[in-house]
Amino acid sequence: MKSILLHILIFTTLFVSSCVAPLDNFQQVANKSFLTIEATLNNLSEPQTVYLFMSSPDVENTYFLPISNATIFYTDEKGVRTDLSETSLKGIYQTSGNFVGRIGGTYTLTIETRDGKKYKSLPETMRPVPEIENLINRFEILDNYGVGDPQRAGFNLYLDFQDLPSEGDNYQWTWKHYQKLDYNICTTCLKGYFDFRLNTCVLPRPATEKNLSYECDGTCLDISYSTDLNLFSDAYSNGQRVTGKKVARIPYDDITPYYLQLEQRGITKNSYNYYQSLKIQTQNTGTLFDVPAETRYSVNIKSTTNPDEKILGVFDVFSSKKKVFYIDRTKGTGTQPVKNIPLESTIFVCTPLDVQERGCKDKTSCQENRYRTKIKPEGWRD
Amino acid sequence: MSQSIQFSLFKLFLILFLFINNCGFVLAQNKEFKLPVLEGKVTDSKTGEPIRGATISLDFKKSGIITDSSGYFSIYLSSGEYIVKVSHVGYKPFRIKIPLRSDYRLDVQLDDITKTLEEVIVSSQATRKDIQTPSLGVTILSIKGIKKLPAMMGEVDIIRSLQTLPGVSSVGEGSNGINVRGGAIDQNLIFIDDAPIFNPTHLFGLFSVFASDAIRELELYKGGVPSRFGGRTASILDIKMTEPNLEKFKLQGGIGLVSNRAMVEVPIIKDKLSVLAAGRLSFNDFWFKLIGPDNIKNTRANFYDLATKVFYRPNKNNTISLSTYVSSDFYQVDSLFSLENVIARRTQFDYGHLNFSGRWSHYFNTRLSMDVVGVLSKYKTRTYAPDSVNRIELTNSIDYKNVKVNFDYNPNDNHKINFGLSGVRYDISPGILNQNVKSRIAAVILPEEQSMEYAAYVDDEYKVNSKFTIQAGFRFAFFTNLGPYSIRKYAEGQPRTANSLIGTEEIGSGSVEKSYSGLEPRVAMKYSFGENATVKFGYNRMQQFIQILSNNTTPLPTSRWKTSDSYIKPQVSDFLSLGYFRNIQENVFELSAEAYYRQTDNVVDFISGANLQLNKSIETQVVSGQAKAYGLELMLTKKRGEMSGWISYTYARSLQQVRGDFPELQQIAGGNWYASNYDKPHSVNMMLNIQPTKHHSFAFTFAYNTGRPFSSPSGIFQLDNKRYPVYETRNNDRISDYHRLDFSWTITNPSLKERRWEGSWTFTVYNLYGRKNAYSVFFKPTGGGIRPYELSVFGAPFISLSYNFKFL
Repeated sequence: MKSILLHILIFTTLFVSSCVAPLDNFQQVANKSFLTIEATLNNLSEPQTVYLFMSSPDVENTYFLPISNATIFYTDEKGVRTDLSETSLKGIYQTSGNFVGRIGGTYTLTIETRDGKKYKSLPETMRPVPEIENLINRFEILDNYGVGDPQRAGFNLYLDFQDLPSEGDNYQWTWKHYQKLDYNICTTCLKGYFDFRLNTCVLPRPATEKNLSYECDGTCLDISYSTDLNLFSDAYSNGQRVTGKKVARIPYDDITPYYLQLEQRGITKNSYNYYQSLKIQTQNTGTLFDVPAETRYSVNIKSTTNPDEKILGVFDVFSSKKKVFYIDRTKGTGTQPVKNIPLESTIFVCTPLDVQERGCKDKTSCQENRYRTKIKPEGWRD
Repeated sequence: MSQSIQFSLFKLFLILFLFINNCGFVLAQNKEFKLPVLEGKVTDSKTGEPIRGATISLDFKKSGIITDSSGYFSIYLSSGEYIVKVSHVGYKPFRIKIPLRSDYRLDVQLDDITKTLEEVIVSSQATRKDIQTPSLGVTILSIKGIKKLPAMMGEVDIIRSLQTLPGVSSVGEGSNGINVRGGAIDQNLIFIDDAPIFNPTHLFGLFSVFASDAIRELELYKGGVPSRFGGRTASILDIKMTEPNLEKFKLQGGIGLVSNRAMVEVPIIKDKLSVLAAGRLSFNDFWFKLIGPDNIKNTRANFYDLATKVFYRPNKNNTISLSTYVSSDFYQVDSLFSLENVIARRTQFDYGHLNFSGRWSHYFNTRLSMDVVGVLSKYKTRTYAPDSVNRIELTNSIDYKNVKVNFDYNPNDNHKINFGLSGVRYDISPGILNQNVKSRIAAVILPEEQSMEYAAYVDDEYKVNSKFTIQAGFRFAFFTNLGPYSIRKYAEGQPRTANSLIGTEEIGSGSVEKSYSGLEPRVAMKYSFGENATVKFGYNRMQQFIQILSNNTTPLPTSRWKTSDSYIKPQVSDFLSLGYFRNIQENVFELSAEAYYRQTDNVVDFISGANLQLNKSIETQVVSGQAKAYGLELMLTKKRGEMSGWISYTYARSLQQVRGDFPELQQIAGGNWYASNYDKPHSVNMMLNIQPTKHHSFAFTFAYNTGRPFSSPSGIFQLDNKRYPVYETRNNDRISDYHRLDFSWTITNPSLKERRWEGSWTFTVYNLYGRKNAYSVFFKPTGGGIRPYELSVFGAPFISLSYNFKFL
């Protein structure tokens, strides 16, 4: 009996003791910023976008400096040029009109910055993509993360598809999630208030102790994106039916239905190689057998003015198939959802008198950006 | 403030108490109240000579009185019971409990321990062979000694024990193999009775592979490698199996938490032929299923070792021994982590060695002897996913065949000449996926690779005079990679990639694809200052024609081995060392200081994002560079006595520079020198073994080292709405320092009776104070940025109990 107890002790300590814990006292020892080119070209009927920013040299207080006023265009195999123009958001360039990529089309990206630096991509050919089939999801707990860690519990999403008969097909899955804002709060001003004339938060001197929050004046949705890279190459299974491919892990931060837009992409070999190296650096870590952490610089965009310049990012030419659906999150068992804790704040409300006499406003408008929109996505249920 | 007052009051109280006590003593004498006296004489048990300066201490107090020049002592004590300890440096302490009511005479004879056997596990130099040999950086460990070290989960572990030595480290707990003086793990050549071990650990690095009972001793050559050894650049670990007892049947074994062991030695023909068989078997993994959390319920982890040896001595001039060694691991996990782009719910791994070696030793006369050795060794691995549609079976293997002949010739007392020849053949199957397997996953077959490694060597240990000895020699190695082999040709002036491939040259079966050869000088010399101090100097060159291709922190057991070819050049290292050795107090203590420097060329690293698995054009993934390592090792050993052990301090660096043929595309860390994964500049190791009685022994080991390097990001970039760390340089920061204390208590023959059956219990606590030592630091993207995490492997104390027995 004693020996059994001892066995239990040993094996439980072994698996309790091998653990992953957040590192609290981390201090960054090096800082550097690189040009980051995030350029996509796909066959979805939406504006084609290039993001031109500098990487953030600080890992905690991230700031991506936009590169403005650049000339950016795609050229196809026939030499037809399509220009992108900078949007109201600096560093973001988009095509106008109905231009979309064509499966089988070969495209080159050219960028010229205002200070005369030139960048050119290798020609990339858009590959086809099959339909998404047979989606299922399963609640799974990762015991190596501690209780309370948001990585611990979640829903894994699996799908099937038929690989194309051609060799060298590479796939990627991404998702987009929309959700209503917590308490419909559009803006929270940290130790300050919202100045409606300047349309921004201002910090009075001395700063107030309170954080003030303002409700939205209309529909406003938060957008979040897949955090994991999900990739697949048909190197070992060309032309086969691929089943049970895990393509997403949905966070368990609530039990409400989870709106999801899932995209299945047919990507190029260069994109696959680039994303695969990022995947190794960020997802296959935390084991005894990690490979050296090393950033791979762009595999298909080079500077023509300074060939030694190291550039981050990729010219990602892909075709895409989309599916929109809701995930039932009431099936999570054995643990509580880890909710995002909203910032402690007071909701600013004008009294009717204030509104009448001083033209007081207490609702702010929804700011369109990567992470927020006024526009309800397709398939959205209120 | 109040605390300091309290403390002062406490001191005052103490002083008063002592004072009052003293007063009482004086008063008592004044009243002519005679106290009993304890007196006696301390002498040497062998010579009968009085021992001057021996300490007599009472009730475990540190201070005591000492004997005079005639060995005499005397002390007045109040009546009562006392525990008296008589001790002197170089002698075994003597303890007695005495009831003191009247005067007591205590004559003690102490045993001189400088003439007893060494109790210590290890010696920083080959003392057992001779302090007088010129070889440097050689460590001999006896298995008897290793068994005294506290063992993790009660498993006597050779690889872990070696890590208590200066100059030997590993990437971290649970990593595979050892790093010797800044070398990679595949730069060590491990032999067990002449047969090589390609993977020295079970369960992905958790335990050593060897069946400890069958092992007699280990010799670790950290630097001064004699010319009879070659083929790896960092170290040689030569493990010798026990020779089976020719006279008596012996049985021994043990029951532990992880595995159970047994060894039997059976004399078949007395004094001529005997057999040994030893096994170790682990089958305790059912606990995963019974009590493990959900994610490990399906985990299976079992292993076994089996060693046999037949020893035959037909006459005085000939001995023949045949050894076999088999190791096997089976491991099953729920997720697949070894083959990208294959979807499987469950993966099984099995791997192991099948080794056979035969040795014939012939003594021509007292001056000349010969050893003829033949070795067959196979290491194979299999990764298997028993999925119905995505079934995979991935195998690789390495076959090693060796014939060597070695002569020892001592023409006179001043020369010891050693010379010989060796030939090795390697047949490597770098990877076969799904050959004859019905599955949706395709078959991929990498062609077999075959090569030969020949060597001729000679060295002479020449004793010039009583103070100076020189050992000089060389090894000539010739390596040839043989066909059938496909040499992929790449466009001139371009890095080797799929895009620069211009054609393939086929090499026919048995034809030479590429050959390399080189002379390896080996020199060691020693100068003695008197009997107890020596200075030694050594230089050697080593070449290595085979390596593991792995870019993991620690290689997986399934990693691919690759011999040199047109693109992968042999590694060459030059090693210099200087040492000072001193025996103190009649060999009770030994002090050593060794400094070394090693430069290695053609070390292998990999391009960023390398794909090594089942890659037919592996040369497109490999980049070569150079490595250097240097260090200073200081060690003080107490070799004999009731308390023995050692303390060592090591300063060591291990650095690499990888630029490749096209630095602008291939260089790592901007082409600068960077710290290797196992670069841990400062380390302190301590081992203490206390054996107060025949039945009890206690051991403590303590280890401290600087945290190993990791790559810290220099920023963040954003791509497709995800954030990623930017790693601009490699290994530019360090994880927190490592330290750990272990303890073990062994009770031998608890029944206290002398019988043929001798049992012992060992109680071990690994990581006594439960420090969560970090193995690695890594970063995960979170919504707004990246988050650092720390992985620790054994972050809690491990308690274990094992029972060992001997039947003689």
